[in-house]
Parts: sequence; structure tokens; C-alpha cells
Amino acid sequence: MFHWLERNPFFFAVGVFIVIAYAGIVTILPDFMNSARPVVGTKPYTVLQLAGRHVYIKDSCNACHSQLIRPFKSETDRYGMYSLSGEYAYDRPFLWGSKRTGPDLMRVGNYRTTDWHENHMLNPAEIVPGSIMPKYPHMFKNVADIETAYAEALTVKKVFNVPYDKSGMPKLGTLEEAKAQALKEAEEIVANMKSPEVKEALKRGEIKEIVAIIAYLNSLK
Amino acid sequence: MNWLNDNVNMLALLGAAAIILITVFVVAKYIKQMKEDKSTGELAEENWDGIGEYKNELPIGWSLAFLGTIVWGLWYFLIGYPLNGYSQIGEYNEEVQKYNTKFENKWANPDEETLMGMGEGVFFVQCAPCHGVTGDGINGKAADLTVWGSEAAIVDVILKGSKGLNYPLGEMPAGLLQGDDAKAVAAYMVEKIAKLGKSKNPDLVAKGESLWAVCAGCHGQNGDGMGGNSPSLKNYGKPEFVVDVLNRGKAGNIGVMPKFNDGRLSDIQKLAVGKYVNSLSQ
Repeated sequence: MFHWLERNPFFFAVGVFIVIAYAGIVTILPDFMNSARPVVGTKPYTVLQLAGRHVYIKDSCNACHSQLIRPFKSETDRYGMYSLSGEYAYDRPFLWGSKRTGPDLMRVGNYRTTDWHENHMLNPAEIVPGSIMPKYPHMFKNVADIETAYAEALTVKKVFNVPYDKSGMPKLGTLEEAKAQALKEAEEIVANMKSPEVKEALKRGEIKEIVAIIAYLNSLK
Repeated sequence: MNWLNDNVNMLALLGAAAIILITVFVVAKYIKQMKEDKSTGELAEENWDGIGEYKNELPIGWSLAFLGTIVWGLWYFLIGYPLNGYSQIGEYNEEVQKYNTKFENKWANPDEETLMGMGEGVFFVQCAPCHGVTGDGINGKAADLTVWGSEAAIVDVILKGSKGLNYPLGEMPAGLLQGDDAKAVAAYMVEKIAKLGKSKNPDLVAKGESLWAVCAGCHGQNGDGMGGNSPSLKNYGKPEFVVDVLNRGKAGNIGVMPKFNDGRLSDIQKLAVGKYVNSLSQ
């Protein structure tokens, strides 16, 4: 019955392509523009949060932690609302991760706080018995790279029109203004921390990596 | 040969033997067929590098099913999917709604034992990461729930103050009362306000009553929190108080506890956690 089609492998391939492409068009295209736009309330990261994001990437947190909550009850019970694509609009790159050795962190800002992160980063196994997460004491020593974070923010603002400095959005301004703003945000976080090292560094105008990464983790909501 | 007594091992071995036997028979059958069978039938016109194909038409039922699938596929592509709009989120919503209804029906009137079990389960997932598996607060990193709700904890709060439940009257300062005065008020509160049973210092209750005015300024004469202006001490040491903390979160002296009012816990689950937390100090 279909010998005529089997004799023409090229047209057979074209037919297969059309059928599959049509399926793609019907399922992907109708909502594509809509779902790619930022969800209402999604804001770009502040410079301090961005510096923390760099620490997150540098220390490879995304190798063990995902940032993607799937629409299953078992996941939403534990991690909160499922993720929407528009929530990643300002993530460059997104940090979905591919493996959950540790729990998902998409909305960790909703259920963990500054003091918890401080204790946990110093010695995870003490807080969570049986945890295999390594210790990150170097975050209390290294200084966060605010300049690079500012450079990234400025670049995405100029190149991709990320809405910094718009009303209701984070302020960017000049490098000096951004540094002052980052210090102000850092102060709020350090107020909830105990480490004397970090507190003294902040008085000297130094923001430690731990402060930046806590700012980032707290912003994940 | 202990491992032969295990049912699973036994089944696996039997299965493996069966697979080997069947393979041997099937392979032998086809080898025989390749050696002996002669080809019959009519060859199709097309061939690929000399390899031909017999005209071996599909059985009629099979062809009909195939054509039917194509027709259904066209309908699904053009009308079925685009106009009925399946979505994963939609399926999720339906499933969750169904589950929640079932959950509410099943646990509408739970008994004490069920509530404790539920509370323990939720505690391990949501509370233990900060308060520790035993609820001891991991060396002062969070509130010690094995003490909370007891007379000693009340004395502790009077000495150290308390803040962060976000009530209109704000922070409770430290050291409103000292020493025996604090113990006396705690004794009075345990027996007369929260009604948690017998105090450890029954002889101090009368003294506590005379000092209660210090507390009544914010918490009210009967300790009900003056209509929501401050925490109701009538509920202290009871599950309702825990539910209140879960709903409000607490930016306290030790650290910040997040709110649990984003729908992660249902009301019955919150009450269950309250019961469980309450049981830790008893």
C-alpha cells in the first residue's frame, strides 16, 4: 500500500519533518512570546545579589542544587510554587542544574534565613545530620567581587535592555553609587550575622563572599 | 547456600535460566529455518543494492487500525490539541485539587495519634533543618523547643525579652523582672493564665499575681493579648501558640524564622505541628 512512499526516501523524510514540525508549532509557538517575558514582580538582581550569584557559580553550587520546581505535588509541597519560564528572564545563564544531590533552591529565600545560611555554610553536617555538603569557610575570608558584578549588570542593561534604574526596579547608577548601594544592602544582612570577622570587614568597607551569596539566596523567592 | 533461601534470589535465578532456555530454542529454530527454508512469493519492484522485499501485504485489520490512527492523528493535530489546550499546569492543578479534597475529607476529624504522627512528619521536613531533629535548637542556633512551653522557658523570656512576632505593641524588653520575681510571675502564669497545670513553685503563685501588673500592661489583665495587640499568653505552651508563630514568623533575638503562611502547610498540618512541638517539652 505504501510502496510508493518507501521508493521515495527523500519525500518520506520531508513528510516526517512536516508532521513533527507541525507538532512543535502547535505546542510551542502559541505561548512562546508570553512565557519568555518576565513574570510580573520579577526583578533583575542587584549588584550585591549578582556578586553572590557569581560566588554560587564559582563554587559550583549548581552541580548539586537545581533551581527548577516541577509541577508535581511532591515538589510543590516541599519547595513551594512550581517554576515559570518568565521567572528566569533575568538569569544569565539560568541555573536550572541537572541533578539534585542537595535540595532545590529555586525559592530558598522563602524558608531559610540569613542566620541559618551563616551556620550552615560553616558546617553543614552540624545543622543537617548526615548532610554530605562540604564546608565553605573560605566564603568568610574571600572578598566578593563587586566590580565584576557591576560590569555584568551594566552590560546586560546596555546590551539587553535589562530594566535597571527604571521605576520600581533596582538602581544601578555609576560604579560608586552601585558600591554604596551594595554596602547598604550588605549592612542589612550582616546585622543578622554573628561572625566578628565579617562584621569587621564590613566596617572597613569590604563585603565578604558569604554576605553576597546570602544576599543572592535570600533573593530567590 | 544461605542465599538460595531468599525468594527474590530464587526468582532471579529461575528467570535467568528460563531466558537462557528460551533463547537457545528460538535461536535454534531460526538457524534451522535459515538452513532449510526456500523462498516463495512475489517480489516487490523496489530493491536496495540487490536486496529485495516480498509483496507481503498487511492484514486487513491492521491496515484499518493504521488508517484509523492517521485520521485520529489529523483530528488531534488540527482540532483535538489546539482547541482543547492540554497543559501540564492544568493537569497539576486538577490533581492537587483532587488530592487536597481527599486529604481534607480523610483528616477532617483526626484523632490525637494521627495528629502527632502528621506533626512529626511535617516537623522533620520543615522544622528540623533549623531546630534540629530533636528540636533542641542545635546548640542555640534556633529556639530550643524541648524547653519551649515550660515554666523555665517563661522565666527565660522574662529575663531575656522577646521580639519579632510583629504584634502592634512591639518588642518585649529584657529584664522587666529579676530573680524570684520572674519565677513568681512564671508560676502565676503557668497556673492561672495559661493553665498548664501545677507550677513548680506553688508558693510563689500569690506573689506572681501581685506582680502581674508588669505583664498586664501589654498582655492584658487576663493575658489575652488585649485583642490582638500582643501575643495571647492564654495560648502559651499550647498548639495554638505554635500555629500563631508559624503564621507570623519570628525575627527574634536568636535569628529569623520565616513565615509558613504561603500555603505549604494546611491548617490541620499547622495544628499537628503545634501538637508535636508541644509534646517535645513534656
